[in-house]
Amino acid sequence: MSNAVTDESKGRVGQFVDLMVNNPYDTYRILFYVGLTSFLMITLFPFYWLLVLAVSGGGTYGMGFLPDSVNIGVFVEIFSQQPIHLYIFNSIVIAMITVVICLVIGSLAGYAFGRVDFRGKGPLMLLLLIVSYFPGIAYLIPLYEMLTGSLTVGPFMTPDLYNTPWAMAFPFTMLTLPITIFILTTFFSQIPDGLEDAARVEGTTRLGALFRVILPLSAPGVVTAAIIVFISVYREFFFSFMMSRGNPDDWAVLVYGILAFEQQSGSQHHFMAAASIVGVIPVAVLVIFAQKHIVRGLTQGGLKE
Amino acid sequence: MIEKLYRTVSPILYRIERLDEDKYGYLLIGPMILVLSVLAFYPLVRTFWLSLQSDDLYGEHPIGEFRGIDGYVEILTGELNIILNYPFFSLSDPLSSALVVTLLITGFSVAIGTVLGLGMALILNKEFRGRSVARMIVILPWSIPIVIQGMMFYLMFQPSISPFVEPLNQLGILSSRPLGSTRDSIIIVILIDVWRKIPFIALIILAGLASVDQSLYNVAKVAGASKWQQFRLITLPLIKPVVLIGMIFYTISSMKVYGVVEASAGCNTVPTLTCLVVDTFRMQRWATASAIAFLTALIIAGIVMVYLVKFRDEVDTYE
Repeated sequence: MSNAVTDESKGRVGQFVDLMVNNPYDTYRILFYVGLTSFLMITLFPFYWLLVLAVSGGGTYGMGFLPDSVNIGVFVEIFSQQPIHLYIFNSIVIAMITVVICLVIGSLAGYAFGRVDFRGKGPLMLLLLIVSYFPGIAYLIPLYEMLTGSLTVGPFMTPDLYNTPWAMAFPFTMLTLPITIFILTTFFSQIPDGLEDAARVEGTTRLGALFRVILPLSAPGVVTAAIIVFISVYREFFFSFMMSRGNPDDWAVLVYGILAFEQQSGSQHHFMAAASIVGVIPVAVLVIFAQKHIVRGLTQGGLKE
Repeated sequence: MIEKLYRTVSPILYRIERLDEDKYGYLLIGPMILVLSVLAFYPLVRTFWLSLQSDDLYGEHPIGEFRGIDGYVEILTGELNIILNYPFFSLSDPLSSALVVTLLITGFSVAIGTVLGLGMALILNKEFRGRSVARMIVILPWSIPIVIQGMMFYLMFQPSISPFVEPLNQLGILSSRPLGSTRDSIIIVILIDVWRKIPFIALIILAGLASVDQSLYNVAKVAGASKWQQFRLITLPLIKPVVLIGMIFYTISSMKVYGVVEASAGCNTVPTLTCLVVDTFRMQRWATASAIAFLTALIIAGIVMVYLVKFRDEVDTYE
């Protein structure tokens, strides 16, 4: 590479290349910072673009990379366009319901997988992996049938849960339970045996030891699982889209809140952008305060096999 | 009151106390088995059973008579293409068939995303000031709602407001209305998928990098190996299994791509497999939709098998 450039008898570029060849250490540093900055820019640019678009107001054509004008009022106006706060509220409530269900069932199962030796443990874990492997579409029709109350089991009909939070919370439980269990299993198995034995010698029951010794000690794991489940549900699209009619009164979630702006007549791009920013805020807050948990949860969930 | 509660609960606790390990384990996973049986295993079996029926568009319930695997055959041979919004697979018009579009998106996205994710992991593995802030920024794309991921790129490729569309159009890369053309929209969907999946694969590779024995690098330095040689001869072979695991998860999730398509270009412009299932389901053709859903799962299984065979070879040669 340097041969081609040095022919141009010591141009600026030539000097630069010479410098780089002579100082490999500096070269790596420069490469490193170039790489880091470009990754950060690629990551952040779509967010920046949303912000520019939101504050620039509507109707401006041929926009550049900088906002023409700054109009913060758009973040108030969107609430009168669509009740985006109701959609976000629904999303958060449904995510919380799912977190509670997953944690209760997941801690029992995670404890069993992590600390109890029973036969068939391996195959059962594999079963969990299979559940998370199948695409959502493979569950859609039966779940739709079940949750809209058109499935009959003997003399009973399933209740019609369409347009209630449960029509989404149940599919989300199915989607996130495997990763909850993988995360909690890892945490439970890392607690030293001695502590539990000591509690048992002191006279606690098995379940007492689980709730008084193991659960408090694995609190970080429980928090990690809760955050991963919350984010997974909050960002989910497929079942949120299929299991609701799209009214905020019918527990439609953020997906419909954002799409409502897209389907509104007229190209109100600044409203779409502002609504997207508002929708990102809850997860952005979580990412800022719980970054460590998210990183840990994602890598453990992924690497657990 | 409490006395009474205690008296009813304590025999139960006593019995739990006396269970052997096997039974105690089964008791604890009982709730999980129950929930997953209803919400996961039953639906899978039911979908498979539905896929063996025929469609009934006029009956009270949209399921007709049993007809075995004929439904699968008709989808694969293209006999059903007339009734589907877009074909499952068609040689004459590959960009309109769900299978080809989905495989294209997955293939390009996994290839580009894995390379970039590896680069990001190597950068984030270094010690530098503000590393935790950098990590925080980097996991943002993964964590935001899928509908907003789609919306961002929808807004970025709107010809009336975006500064990219015209220059890219003049260079001949995109058409003047990229979200209206299938070819351009596929490129955009690949872009979204890469953008949001880099953090995921980077984090997995990062976990792999953390477990590489650092003393190996000291040996390499003494032996006079350059940075590139260190990477190629030490880092890469050691993290290969982890990269393969990351790629498996990446591939599975890209094969299901739906939300970002629905929120950006729309299913008619970029017909993916999930789009096809949803559209068919909405036409009340439950049996056909189930069959396509199961075919999708089978195709993903096939791809995962290829990875696993590679994975085993990799682990074997390493050991």
